[in-house]
Amino acid sequence: MTQQNQADGGNDTVEPKIIGFLCNWCSYAGADKAGLAQVPYPPNVRVIKVMCSGRIDPQFVLQAYKKGADGVLILGCHFGDCHYKEGNFRATQRHRMLLRLLKQHGIEEPRCRLDYVAASEGEKFVQVVTEMTETLKRLGPLRRCVSK
Amino acid sequence: MKIGVYFCKCGTNISDRIDPEVIREEVLSVPGVEYFKTCDYLCSEEGKNFLEEDLKGEKPERVIITACSPRDYEKTFRECVSKAAINPYLMQMINLREQVAWVTADPEEAAEKATSYIRGAAARVSRHAPLEEQEIEVCPDVLVVGAGPAGLKAALAIAGAGRKVVLVEKSPMLGGMPVRFEELFPNLECGPCLLEPVLAEVLQEKRIEILTLSEVVEVAGYCGNFLVKVRPSPRFIDLAKCIGCGECINPCPESTPNPFNCGLNEKKAIAFAQTGGLPNAPFIDSCVCRRFKDEDCRLCQAACPVEGAVVFDDQEKLLDKNVGAIVLAVGSALYDCTHFPGLAYGKSANVYTSMEFERLLAATGPTAGKVLRRDGQPPETVAIVHCVGSLDNQHRGYCSGVCCQYAFKFNQMIKHQLPEARVWHLHRELVTPGKEEFALFARATGNPRATFIRYANLGDVRVSERDGKSEIRYEDAAGRSETIQADMVVLCPAIVPAEASGRLAALLETSQDRFGFFEELHGRADAAQTKIKGIYLAGTCQGPKDIQGSVNQGMAAAGYVLSQLPAGKKLSIEPITAMVDEAACSGCRVCRKVCPYKAIGFDNAKGVSVVNALLCHGCGTCVAACPSGAMTGRHYTHDQIFAEIEGVLQ
Repeated sequence: MTQQNQADGGNDTVEPKIIGFLCNWCSYAGADKAGLAQVPYPPNVRVIKVMCSGRIDPQFVLQAYKKGADGVLILGCHFGDCHYKEGNFRATQRHRMLLRLLKQHGIEEPRCRLDYVAASEGEKFVQVVTEMTETLKRLGPLRRCVSK
Repeated sequence: MKIGVYFCKCGTNISDRIDPEVIREEVLSVPGVEYFKTCDYLCSEEGKNFLEEDLKGEKPERVIITACSPRDYEKTFRECVSKAAINPYLMQMINLREQVAWVTADPEEAAEKATSYIRGAAARVSRHAPLEEQEIEVCPDVLVVGAGPAGLKAALAIAGAGRKVVLVEKSPMLGGMPVRFEELFPNLECGPCLLEPVLAEVLQEKRIEILTLSEVVEVAGYCGNFLVKVRPSPRFIDLAKCIGCGECINPCPESTPNPFNCGLNEKKAIAFAQTGGLPNAPFIDSCVCRRFKDEDCRLCQAACPVEGAVVFDDQEKLLDKNVGAIVLAVGSALYDCTHFPGLAYGKSANVYTSMEFERLLAATGPTAGKVLRRDGQPPETVAIVHCVGSLDNQHRGYCSGVCCQYAFKFNQMIKHQLPEARVWHLHRELVTPGKEEFALFARATGNPRATFIRYANLGDVRVSERDGKSEIRYEDAAGRSETIQADMVVLCPAIVPAEASGRLAALLETSQDRFGFFEELHGRADAAQTKIKGIYLAGTCQGPKDIQGSVNQGMAAAGYVLSQLPAGKKLSIEPITAMVDEAACSGCRVCRKVCPYKAIGFDNAKGVSVVNALLCHGCGTCVAACPSGAMTGRHYTHDQIFAEIEGVLQ
């Protein structure tokens, strides 16, 4: 899908595209909380809501890269808080596996970030999105050897 | 496909940052989108009417609503869409307020973000399928397992609401632990007196079917329709005929250590579990009775004044019960004190567990309530050892919560009965939560004959016998080695799960926590429910607690049953569930392993997994786990999410 990808050397003019997979109960609510604060954050993330981070199939992440995302966020509840008890553990397991797979495709680890955002953590959501945007600007766009 | 887009301005909350007129042209160019309409407040009565009427006129095949968070208003708009005779799941909501307008400084960027979301939603919603809520009939009857305070209160509350209850108790009498205690902390009330009125009510309640000496041996089905097999062991006494006079007991020639008094005295082969125990009828222990050793003894039957009350040919039965819900209230047990060899439990005659001591204090116990050692002498010194197993990660890594309080109760009861006796409290910690418990603590510490000592490590405490007395060597918290003498040593063991918990958990497929207690749906918010729909928890089988806590949880479980399974109503099934494509399923059962709700069964004949939609919570974990792509998560299908990803990235 992709070939070895070179950093473009901090090209700030390219706006990275981020797909954020958010669980309905904690992280999506956390993103809403960030909205209530009405403090702007980088507009680069496109949120895809799923009921549970355990629903996030590694194929979704690969699809995101394939279709033009430069980075992917997987956000779920903190351990012990999962609405479905243990979906976030599954998400964590799959993320670990995914990182190994992405490495083989030459996709750098920071392009796929897993984090835990609670319903109350609007600020954390903003921080994660901001950091991810900066990281991806530093890494530059993801190069693809196949067409979108 | 005709898609209609409705843009809520939310006053100016959204339109200030995203001008609908700026994005109109672009939105109308999105494949499928046929019209784009705006509204000031779509959630107002006016807005909802506009939406409903407009949908009726336009008759779109799919609807997109761009407004606030779906967490706030998706339900409202689904209702509007339904009223316009469009399946509510053919609508997709976009969160333009919280996740775009309020957080994007630049209007151009906001407009771009908004249109990308609309592209994603259009791609997604065109792949939506209409979903219907299903309803199933439920059985209104309820099974309560365990007749301690928690189970009794749950049974009474459920029966009080007009529902039938099957109350299964493994012992021959009702009441659980407290009927075996003479007095209860914190106010030293009479234990049997507290429960007798409750028991009388239970016994008189026609809607409660009581099955003593009974066990649950098989459970099939699911919330609303469980099929339970209950096995009552023979009592050999006809409860309907027995008048509870006890004439049968004295003539009985066989006796055995009495388990109801922890083996501290003997009971006959035919005996009451406890004087005054309810139901008021004896039972025959077939392991002890001569008739079951092929001897023709009929002394009890001959002494019985009622024809046919003693039934030697009573048989084990297997009863089928259909219930809609199950309340587990099987209680707990005490930690085995022999795990601490230094405490000499079972070796030294002077060492007792707290349960044994309770029976010594009880009027119905082996000494008729007198505190006497096994040699018949009253003790001059009693050492109470707290935290036997509790607060210790090597043994039980939690506080059992009740031991300190019953130890203070012992302190007071010893003081009343043996005013000259010295009481030693050897403890790791002292815990007295609650609004009434501190007064008891104050009385116990105010006892001039009582001494409190904090030991360093229970594993180092050594109990040995010398001249009939116990010598207790320990290291105190300051590291000094000390020795005290005592005539009696009372151990306060940790509260641990009952033996039946593991077996029942396996039968019901409910999970156990790391200590073996039944695991709750949520430790704080839903401690009276298990993760399995329709199975509820009450009392110490969920974790150590006192009578108040147990009774409250019994009532909580009853409340859940009555609100989640109202009699006469059907149970609705959420449409967002997982679904198996039988042709694609390879039968690997990975889905069953990852399902947190045991909602996936297996059809052995077909070799495929089967989702029980009633138990499925729709998290989608199994969908992501399925290696064959045989599992579909309704409303969150691969196809829909792939389309949404592609749409928002265009």
